[in-house]
Amino acid sequence: MKLKSPFTGNRGKMIKPGACAGLLIILIACPLFIKSPYLFHIFNLTLIYIIVAVSFRTIMTSGQLPLSHAGFMGVGAYASATAAKWLGWTPWITIPFGALVAMGVGVIMGYPFARLRAVYYAMISLFFGMLIISSVKAFDTWTGGAAGLTGIPTLFGYSKIPYYYFFLLLTSVCLLALYRLEFSRTGVTWKAIAQSHEVAASVGINEARYRILASAIGCLFAGLAGATYAHYNGVIGTTSFGLMATILLLIYVIVGGAGSFFGPIIGVVLLMTIPELLRGLREYVPYISAAILLIVVYIMPKGVAGLANSLLSWFTELRKNRRTSNAS
Amino acid sequence: MELIIGTFANVLILSSMYILVALGFALLFSIMGILHVAHGAVYTISGYICYHLAQAVGLNGWLSLALTVVVVSSFGLLLERLCFRPFFGEFDRSLVVGIGLILIIQTTMVITRGQESLSIPSFVDGFLRYGPISVSHERLVTFAIGAALLLVLVWFINNTKPGLQMRAIAQDFRGAIMQGININWISAIATVIACGSAAVAGCLMGAYLNLNPFMGDHVLSKALILVILGGMGSMTGLFYAGLVLGALDATLPVFFSGSVAEVIAMSVIIVVLLLRPTGFLGREIT
Repeated sequence: MKLKSPFTGNRGKMIKPGACAGLLIILIACPLFIKSPYLFHIFNLTLIYIIVAVSFRTIMTSGQLPLSHAGFMGVGAYASATAAKWLGWTPWITIPFGALVAMGVGVIMGYPFARLRAVYYAMISLFFGMLIISSVKAFDTWTGGAAGLTGIPTLFGYSKIPYYYFFLLLTSVCLLALYRLEFSRTGVTWKAIAQSHEVAASVGINEARYRILASAIGCLFAGLAGATYAHYNGVIGTTSFGLMATILLLIYVIVGGAGSFFGPIIGVVLLMTIPELLRGLREYVPYISAAILLIVVYIMPKGVAGLANSLLSWFTELRKNRRTSNAS
Repeated sequence: MELIIGTFANVLILSSMYILVALGFALLFSIMGILHVAHGAVYTISGYICYHLAQAVGLNGWLSLALTVVVVSSFGLLLERLCFRPFFGEFDRSLVVGIGLILIIQTTMVITRGQESLSIPSFVDGFLRYGPISVSHERLVTFAIGAALLLVLVWFINNTKPGLQMRAIAQDFRGAIMQGININWISAIATVIACGSAAVAGCLMGAYLNLNPFMGDHVLSKALILVILGGMGSMTGLFYAGLVLGALDATLPVFFSGSVAEVIAMSVIIVVLLLRPTGFLGREIT
C-alpha cells in the first residue's frame, strides 16, 4: 500500500489556505477578547507595514533593490493628506488618488532608472528617496515641512476598532493580490529577470518594461498603505518616510526571509509588533530589537521563513528515509 | 569678505572630516564587500569616549584623543573578528549586523547620557588674526590634523606593502588570495584604520560641534554619498567627490533656502549617476 505524505496531494494543498483562513478568523474575533485600544493601535500599524514590506519584496523579486520605498509610502501619504486637507476631498477618494500618484511617480522613476542594474539601481534609488523627502520639505506651505502635517481628516474618528476591521480587509485583499501576482506569469518573469537579465532578454522578455511594471505595482501598494496611514494617524512627518525607514523595511524583509512571500510578514511582526508590545521597558526596547536581529542573522542565514522552510524539508526528508528503510 | 572666508574655512573642515570618515567606509566596502553602516555609530561613540576621558577622568585633551583612538581601534579588531569575518562579502547579512550594532550603541548612549547636549572642551584656544580676517586656532588645528591624517593614509595605501595588498584585494579578490595575501590580516588592518580615522574625526567634530547620540547618522549619509559619487573602489574619486559635495554644500545655501538647496543637490547627484552610474572614477563591478 502506498502511504501518502501529508505535504503532497489534496490534503497538503489545503494546509496553507486553511491556516490563513484560521488565522483570519482568530484576527476577526480578536476584539471580543482584547479591549485595550493601545493594542489595536499596534495591530493597525502592523497591518499597514505588512502591506509596505510585502510590496517592497515584490519589487525585490524583479532584481531591483528600491532604497526609496518608504519615500513612496510618503508620496501616497502626502498626496492623499494634502488633497483631503486643502481641497476638502473625502478620504475615500483621496486614498486611491494617493496610491495612483505614488504609482505615477514610480513609473516616472522607473523609465530612466531601468538602464541601471543591481548596486547602481539601489544607489540611485536611495538618492531618489532623499529627493522625495527634501521636496516634501521644500513645499512646506502645503506639506508642513520638517515639522509635519497635522489636522488630516480621519476615516472613522478616534475609535480603533473600525480601523482594525478596515485594515484587516485591506491587508487581506492586498496580500491576496500580491500572492496571486507572485505565482502568475508576470511574477515568474520577474524572477527570471532577477536571475539573469541576459537569458531573460534572449527568450524575448522586455526587461525594462517588466522592471517598470514591478516598480509601478510595488509603489501603488506602498502609496495605498501610506495614504491609509495618513488618514488613520491624522499626523504625518518626514521621518517616517526617510532613508532610515527604508533601511528598517529592508531589515524586516531580510530578517523574515527575502526568499519567501511570508518572510516580510514574519519580519514585521517580529521586529515591529514585539518591541511595541514591550513598551513598558521604555528606553531598553531597542536592545530587544537588536537581540532579535543578531540572533536571526547569526543562526538563520535565510531569515526566519528560510529556517522554517529548511526545517519542513528536513522533516519530509526524514519521513521519506524512514519509509524507504521500512520497505527494504 | 569675512563671510566668504568663514564659509570657505567651514567647508574645508567639514570636507576633510567627511572624507576622513568616508575613507574608512570605502576601505571596508572595497576590501570586504560589506556595507559598514555602523561606521557613523563608531564615530559617535568615540566622541563620547573622548568626552568622558577629558571631563570625567580629567585628562589632557590630546592625551584623551590618543587614548580614544587606541580604544576604538582595538574595538575595531573585535568588530572585524566577530561581526565582519563571518559575513565576508554578504551584503544583506552584514547590513543587518550593522543595524544591530547601531541600535545597541545608540541606545547605550541615550540611556547613559540621555538626550542632553555635551561638548568636548576645545583642544586649543585663541584666534589667528591676519588683517581683517580672524580664524580660530581650533578650526585650523582640526583642518590640519584631518588633512595630515588623510595624506598619511593615502601614502600608506599607495606605498606600503599592506596598503598595496589592500588595493590588490579590492581589485581582484581571488587573484589576491592566489598570490598568498592573508586576507584576514589585511582586513583587520583595514578595520583598525577605518575605526581609528573615524575616532579622530569623532573627537575633533565633538569639540567643534556638540555631541548627540544621533550625530553619526548625518555623517554616515555624507560618507555614503561620497563613496557612491566618487566611485566604489577609487580613493582619488573620493577626494573629488568630497570637494564637489563641499562646494555644493557651501554655495547653494547662499542662493536658496535649506531644503530647496537639498532638492537641487540631490537632483544634481541623480543626473550625475544617470550619466555615470559608476561614479566619477569607479569601474564596473558585477
